[in-house]
Amino acid sequence: MTPRARVDELVVREVEDETLVYDLKRHRAHSLNQTAALVWRWCDGRTTVPEMAQRLQAELRLPADEEVVLLALDRLGRSHLLQERVTSKEEAVRVSRRAVARKVAMAAGMTVLLPVVTSIVAPTPAAAATCLATGQSCTQNTQCCSGSCLGIVFTCA
Amino acid sequence: MEKLDRLGWAADLCFTAYGLRIGIRVNQPEVLEQLADYLPPGWKPSAARVVDRLYSVKIGGSVRPGIRNFHLLYAGPSRLARTMVLEGILEALDFDLQLYVAEKARRRVFVHAGVVGWRERAIVIPGMSHAGKTTLVAALVRAGATYYSDEYAVFDAQGSVHPYARPLGIRDGNGDRPRRCPVQELGGTPGAKPLAVGLVAVSEYRVGASWRPRALSPGQGALALLENTVSARRRPGAALDVLQQVVSQAPVLKGARGEAADAAREILDRAMG
Repeated sequence: MTPRARVDELVVREVEDETLVYDLKRHRAHSLNQTAALVWRWCDGRTTVPEMAQRLQAELRLPADEEVVLLALDRLGRSHLLQERVTSKEEAVRVSRRAVARKVAMAAGMTVLLPVVTSIVAPTPAAAATCLATGQSCTQNTQCCSGSCLGIVFTCA
Repeated sequence: MEKLDRLGWAADLCFTAYGLRIGIRVNQPEVLEQLADYLPPGWKPSAARVVDRLYSVKIGGSVRPGIRNFHLLYAGPSRLARTMVLEGILEALDFDLQLYVAEKARRRVFVHAGVVGWRERAIVIPGMSHAGKTTLVAALVRAGATYYSDEYAVFDAQGSVHPYARPLGIRDGNGDRPRRCPVQELGGTPGAKPLAVGLVAVSEYRVGASWRPRALSPGQGALALLENTVSARRRPGAALDVLQQVVSQAPVLKGARGEAADAAREILDRAMG
């Protein structure tokens, strides 16, 4: 298995050891922690999962195994950051990924190894502005938090 | 638009704000004076005849006994508001104008947030509407902080915050529109110069909570700010460049808060530390 990262329609920025990715197609933004960012960087369509695990171990100086890489690939795939999602033996893999997450989380000092992808939906301009609450008088839909300015007396729904 | 142009316009105002040229024309000249309160901070009159956005305010009112015309507001050819209440037109203009500037500003990134200055650094409080930003900003000002904004943190390319000190929009809790309150009424003063960010506090009011925030990683902190960035969709690269600067110079703390006065003291303590 040699996963390939998506490159089109993405804006990528590094923040210390994390990576911020803005998906221009879906208007979603992601923050990849160091483990997820490293794995994503190595998804070049040539590097195999065992090779990624070796590199991860060398880079983080922690006992990373293939399960950690698969967990990272799963999270990257769900965030649409791979050209194709990794779907081998889906159910078994999902169970073992849950197990590896638990295993890594429980080992003292190892939580840093867990790949984390935090995502948000980027706001529309009106969603990122001050809006009116339900019952307040309005003149246009965009003024209301609900997006609806209704009725004869024009109040926000 | 041509139909609109043919209406009798008695006066107009052209100004620049944040690199944008904006025009407002009215059919009753006395309305222009009232508009000054609704213009973006730092606006400057301009002699330009070509603008990026043109607002048309047509005042209606009584035409003859028993017949009243609506007041109308247009942005370009699009009608934004139609109401019998003049205040409704002015507030619709205010809403659209501030949002337009916040989204399209050149060389500035607007994040929906309250901002105060404290010991030569800015405390930025991003959050959605009705999260209690203005209440917290007012409490911080009463505790001695300098007022920068209760609406937008205006960042430059270096990640410094510029004042956007319009009167605070204080809600009285009865569902009415916010009351515009000059910061001087709270015993505070508005900030005048840009400040580097010292603390970002992501906080939402919750009854009975006390502020025990957790530190977000820089990446997660940048997302918390991006979630409130007006131009996030329009210019994501520019927004990320600026937010990258902000989170690399200041910690980002997140947690629910209780009463504003208590939270203000805790935030100022943290900002000092």
